[in-house]
Amino acid sequence: MSNDERVGAARRTGPPTKVVVVDDHPMWRDGVRADLEADGRSRVVGEAASADEAITVVEGARPDVVLIDLNMPGLPGTVAIQRIAERVPGTRMLVLSASAAEADVLAAVKAGASGYLLKSATGDELVDAVQQVAAGEPVFSPSLAALVLGEFRRVASGGDREQDLTERETEVLRHVARGYTYREIADRLVISVRTVQNHVQSILAKLQLRGRYELMRYAIHRGLDRDDE
Amino acid sequence: MSPSAPHHDDRAPVAGGSEVVATGGVRALARGVLAVRWAVLAWMFALAVIGVVEGRDLAVAVTVVAVVAAWVGWLTVAQPRFTPVVLTADLLVAGGLVVVGARFGWLATVYPVTAALAWGATRGIVGGIVAGGVLGLISVSAGALISTDGPAQSLQVLRDPVYFALAGGGMGFVATLLENSAAQVRAAQAEQVRATEAAARMTERESLGRQIHDSVLQALALVHKRGRELAGRAQVDGAEVGRLADLAAAQERALRTMILRPPDVTGDDGRHASLRERLERAVAAVDGHVTAAVTSTGDIRLPAGHVHEIGAAVDQALQNVVRHAHASRAWVFAEVDGDDVVVDVRDDGTGFDFDEAALRAAGKYGLLRSIGGRVEDLGGRLRIDTAPGRGTELELRVPVPAPVGQEDDG
Repeated sequence: MSNDERVGAARRTGPPTKVVVVDDHPMWRDGVRADLEADGRSRVVGEAASADEAITVVEGARPDVVLIDLNMPGLPGTVAIQRIAERVPGTRMLVLSASAAEADVLAAVKAGASGYLLKSATGDELVDAVQQVAAGEPVFSPSLAALVLGEFRRVASGGDREQDLTERETEVLRHVARGYTYREIADRLVISVRTVQNHVQSILAKLQLRGRYELMRYAIHRGLDRDDE
Repeated sequence: MSPSAPHHDDRAPVAGGSEVVATGGVRALARGVLAVRWAVLAWMFALAVIGVVEGRDLAVAVTVVAVVAAWVGWLTVAQPRFTPVVLTADLLVAGGLVVVGARFGWLATVYPVTAALAWGATRGIVGGIVAGGVLGLISVSAGALISTDGPAQSLQVLRDPVYFALAGGGMGFVATLLENSAAQVRAAQAEQVRATEAAARMTERESLGRQIHDSVLQALALVHKRGRELAGRAQVDGAEVGRLADLAAAQERALRTMILRPPDVTGDDGRHASLRERLERAVAAVDGHVTAAVTSTGDIRLPAGHVHEIGAAVDQALQNVVRHAHASRAWVFAEVDGDDVVVDVRDDGTGFDFDEAALRAAGKYGLLRSIGGRVEDLGGRLRIDTAPGRGTELELRVPVPAPVGQEDDG
């Protein structure tokens, strides 16, 4: 997922982006912190080594962006993503995982993450992605776009149009999956870059809506109520 | 079905085999009962003819024989499953014949017992005894109410119910024995399937272990050793650190590919293969100065022939990119779009004026024609989108013959 020449967030002036880093490897957290602080646009306001701890830290530190790993001891990262999305709405989450397995990627994004980076991403890619996510823009790599397209094609919504992609959104997604930048997509479809960004945001929102419906159906199916402790 | 349901198609024949064993015995019993019905029907026909010749009621003879013949004929031709409805109907016909036999002694046959046999064969001992008992009771009541011979005496009353129930129960016993031995065969086969699966997993694990050992562990050992050496030096050579990083990155990719490939799902089973896996191989073979990547909506399982041809076409397209496009990057994207599989090969190279004659003259048309030929052989078409300075995009669109398994069909 290294080919990200997205028209990302414009370089923002003003207060740095507040970031919480969640990973069970201290060395990895240090590396990420170093990358983010060298960039200067972000400031690490908290760290956590597990999903449980992440929820507490985020509730206290109220960061703009949570950088989170998926495979940690204890609760899976997807659960933390989902709980944070419920309890501290507006927090943007970016997954930084060593796993490129489709199921992991889709589960994380459906749970509420705004993007998915592999740990092989370069430092520059990482700090740019954090800025992009902080500005409210999903980080859609071509391979994530392809997976999301497959997901929408594969799983029928059962006629709920709120959960289906429009033709234009499908078209945008196919272009992202084929490696086009937002600028190139805008040129090819004769629309503005802003419109492309809006489509991508709306695609992510629909995917997360599907994720919530699935969770609800699953809960109903299992005869469980929402687990709010 | 065997307890371990088949995970994918190449195991289906095994499960199908045990299914045949499981139902084969019962089916043979059902055929036997049918043969008995025909024999008794023939006997009944003879009785009817003799009866009519001796001056009995023609209408009764014709009606009874016609009803039974129709029922047995239907059972023979339609080969229905013995559902509760069919079994009940059979019991009704048999019960009717018991009554007929009681009223018109010259037409009495053993036909009713075949219903008890059918119940025993399909519903086991209890089913056979119950059906036989019902027929026996009908026989006793009919004897008491309408028989021309007058009511039967003492123990004689019990004769028919006992005979009927014995016949049905006996058949049920045989059927149960067959069922049990079939279950044993099934269990043995399931055990064998499990053993084969375990062996396959073991082999896979060993081969994975070997691959990890050969490449990843060696690379890790090298990174470890060189890293220590570098750490001990006063001056660190950036290029050398870079080489170590490249080595680690290459092994990371290799390990990820190894782990991500579920051996049972994406392996080429001779009939179907994973298009994504084939495209990843095509991209891996692309020469150094072009960076290429595959994205895909899923695993995209296709008939092996399709994967082979599409893969060869993409190989050629990528060769074209390397040789003629002056590109630095290439993207391969595969998706299932309705009934088509679409593969898109795109580069950021110079592009060209799509002019067949000029391309032919420049010797650049051969590959394009060859790619198009492969796609057309599969009933698909090739679209070329290019212009000078805009890169080139080839879209291969091929209809898919069978439902496309993506993955994880979950």
